[in-house]
Amino acid sequence: MRRRQLLGAAAGGLAASGFGGTVSAPAVAQGAAARTLRIVPQANLTSLDPVWTTATITRTHSYLVYDTILSVDEKFEVKPQAADGWQIEDDGKTYVFTLREGQKFHNGEPVRAQDCVASIKRWWARDGFGQEIAKRLDTIEAIDDRRFRIKLQRPFTHLLAAIAKPNASPCFIMPESVAATDPNTQITSWVGSGPYRFMRDEWVPGSRAVYMRNDAYVPRQEEVSWTAGGKRANAERMEWHIITDPATAGNALMNGEVDFIELPLHDLLPLFRRNRQVVVENRDTIGTIGMMRLNHLHPPFDNPEIRQALLLAVNQEDFLRAVVGDESSMYKTSYSYWSLGGPMHTEAGSEALQVRSIEKAKEALAKAGYSGQKIVQLHASDFPTIAAQSQVTADLMRRLGVNHEFVATDWGTVVQRRASREPVDRGGWNIFHTTWAGPDWLDPPAAVGMRAVGTGPGGWFGWPSSEKMEALRAEWFEAPNLAEQQRLARELQIEAFKVVPHVPLGHFLSPSAWRRDVTGVIKSPVVLFYNMGKGGG
Amino acid sequence: MLAYIARRVLATIPVMLIVAFFVFSLLYLAPGDPAAVIAGDQATPQDVERIRASLGLDRPFVVRFTEWLWRIVQGDLGVSIFTNLPVSHMIAQRIEPTTSLMLITIVLAICIAVPMGVVAAWKAGSWIDRAVMAFAVFGFSVPVFVTGYVLAYIFALQLDWLPVQGYTPLSEGFWPFLENLILPAIALGSIYIALIARITRATMLEVLAQDYIRTAKAKGLGSRGILFLHALKNAAVPISTVIGIGIALLIGGAVVTESVFAIPGLGRLTVDAILRRDYPVIQGVVLLFSFVYVLVNLAIDLLYTVFDPRIRY
Repeated sequence: MRRRQLLGAAAGGLAASGFGGTVSAPAVAQGAAARTLRIVPQANLTSLDPVWTTATITRTHSYLVYDTILSVDEKFEVKPQAADGWQIEDDGKTYVFTLREGQKFHNGEPVRAQDCVASIKRWWARDGFGQEIAKRLDTIEAIDDRRFRIKLQRPFTHLLAAIAKPNASPCFIMPESVAATDPNTQITSWVGSGPYRFMRDEWVPGSRAVYMRNDAYVPRQEEVSWTAGGKRANAERMEWHIITDPATAGNALMNGEVDFIELPLHDLLPLFRRNRQVVVENRDTIGTIGMMRLNHLHPPFDNPEIRQALLLAVNQEDFLRAVVGDESSMYKTSYSYWSLGGPMHTEAGSEALQVRSIEKAKEALAKAGYSGQKIVQLHASDFPTIAAQSQVTADLMRRLGVNHEFVATDWGTVVQRRASREPVDRGGWNIFHTTWAGPDWLDPPAAVGMRAVGTGPGGWFGWPSSEKMEALRAEWFEAPNLAEQQRLARELQIEAFKVVPHVPLGHFLSPSAWRRDVTGVIKSPVVLFYNMGKGGG
Repeated sequence: MLAYIARRVLATIPVMLIVAFFVFSLLYLAPGDPAAVIAGDQATPQDVERIRASLGLDRPFVVRFTEWLWRIVQGDLGVSIFTNLPVSHMIAQRIEPTTSLMLITIVLAICIAVPMGVVAAWKAGSWIDRAVMAFAVFGFSVPVFVTGYVLAYIFALQLDWLPVQGYTPLSEGFWPFLENLILPAIALGSIYIALIARITRATMLEVLAQDYIRTAKAKGLGSRGILFLHALKNAAVPISTVIGIGIALLIGGAVVTESVFAIPGLGRLTVDAILRRDYPVIQGVVLLFSFVYVLVNLAIDLLYTVFDPRIRY
């Protein structure tokens, strides 16, 4: 028995002997603790609708509560999940999906094809990749309770990949009545068919979210691999403890008050590694990608030569070490717009990014006609990883001798101000930083930041514009096989290094930390908490 | 007296209206956009616009303020933009931890600080006085979060006497409830103890120099009787004023303390809401804090009559 439990028992004994108050029962509490997995997730769970928001934490919640029709394994292959399988007919224009038998929602209702059809419709109303299916759609309908059909006007080889995609937003199955909710309005029922039930009554936003094992869930028999394979609810009860202070979360882990921290502060990792009860490992197989985003609407970055000059100055290692320190195993340079290790990854066209010379960048800036225009950089000081990379950029600007204004604020302000298309003297901006999960840059449909439509629909903040990039992207969707997709992704990247929508800053790994008795941690670029348990249970 | 209380309670209404107007205006003028936060990083500007429209954030200030005020008058604090939960429900979830933390801190502070201040004044110039003043300077100087981390390191990580973080409701047992609040209360109370101890000492020094204290001594009354029955009662008015003012200090300190010790209280709710620009929650919590502060001031005013019978309302 630990010293604190002994003290607690003594205090309980005093209380029971007449000092009043309710007495806790340590033995019972220990049993409950053994069956409960206590997790500190990366952020506060605020919204429960994975269609309404693309927030990562909502996706993590949704993978516990909802099932998906299809999934992706570590070889980037599409696998059935709630589906038993599919048939492709009519020269690739018709897909018929059959659902596994015996699947039920948390309210006991069976999972039907009608639910899948309604869920797909709500999902593609908001999701970019889903909209590519909708563009080519002829009909989507339930054939019976276990089968549904998607009929296209022309073949679309990415249909399965779109429905299976693990990055925001995955296509989760909701009951038909819930999926009927307007996609711009939050759902108000959280009934899913996933391995865990969400305990709404125990939800205290900003403090705690609770999940209980769904005993009716029938997992697939295959080994788990990324989002594919058997999902098992090994912990009877899962509690998410929102601990905003990283040092407190670290202390809680070392003290055995929580079992798992998804994203501990890098500075704390050496401390964890010295603790025999704590394991530190990379759970994310691709890593996080840093981005220095440039605004193409206003000077000086409306000039492509100035954007290209900036590439010459960037040393990815500086940015990566600012986040993770000097431990070289924790970061990987990647002179590519596509995720390292992904099928589209290539370094074609990235020569400028590998120069790493301030002097050459200064020369190029002068040659491009930079004449002292102010460069306003938005800095989110409340995001440690983003802030670290942003500070390196500030230093880079000083070394380049440009007219630089560093606007330190919080992330909430950055996400508002980055939407401004005004010039810098009217509240606009030139540079901001953000980070992305690895799957967000696996291929063109995932990479919203690679859209080059200017201020048109689908364009992302910074509003780069390139007809060639858009044409290559459109061609990619029609590519019949992987080799052709890779060729087009390579062409797209070569063009992107000329347009420079942003500067890619390499991958850094963000290990998780957990108590040694935690089992079943899934290695995957998306966060999956099912399959985790404690000790034997 | 009852008429006075009624007048003071009624006077809170215009105060609350002014607070409401300022809170709403400040949030309207402050940078930040909940729609952009909700949409997430993958959303396009069009997605953000669509969410802003669906939340009604694109409507004029006057329309939004009038609607909000009308709901407030009806006792409806609105619904959180993010969680879709009623603000009153979210406040109700958080009120117990904050109230518990503040009450324990106040009790702890008064129990420690008042005797410290009294003894320091009684032994003015001695090593006891200097030790109390040194402690007061230390308490003022060290930020709450530093005190919190040091306490957690010693008493939770090294000695394993108390938990690092968290909160257990009173309904789940008195000791689990108390063990979670001991360290936060000490951390939060350190500044408060320093403040009250200094004021108590200064006030007591003044009172102890009064003629009636000398008379009491001349009549042969014991030190304890002079200090606690005669001197302290006369020093109580300024001390209770400082305790009242200190409640505001505690509210501010609770925000930090709740973050350091992961207590799911109103302080953390406020910070989270500010970072996300969850306007209805910020407005609701600030209104509540203002109301509490007005009531605390009223209670302190009424307490004066207990300590000093010459005061009448």
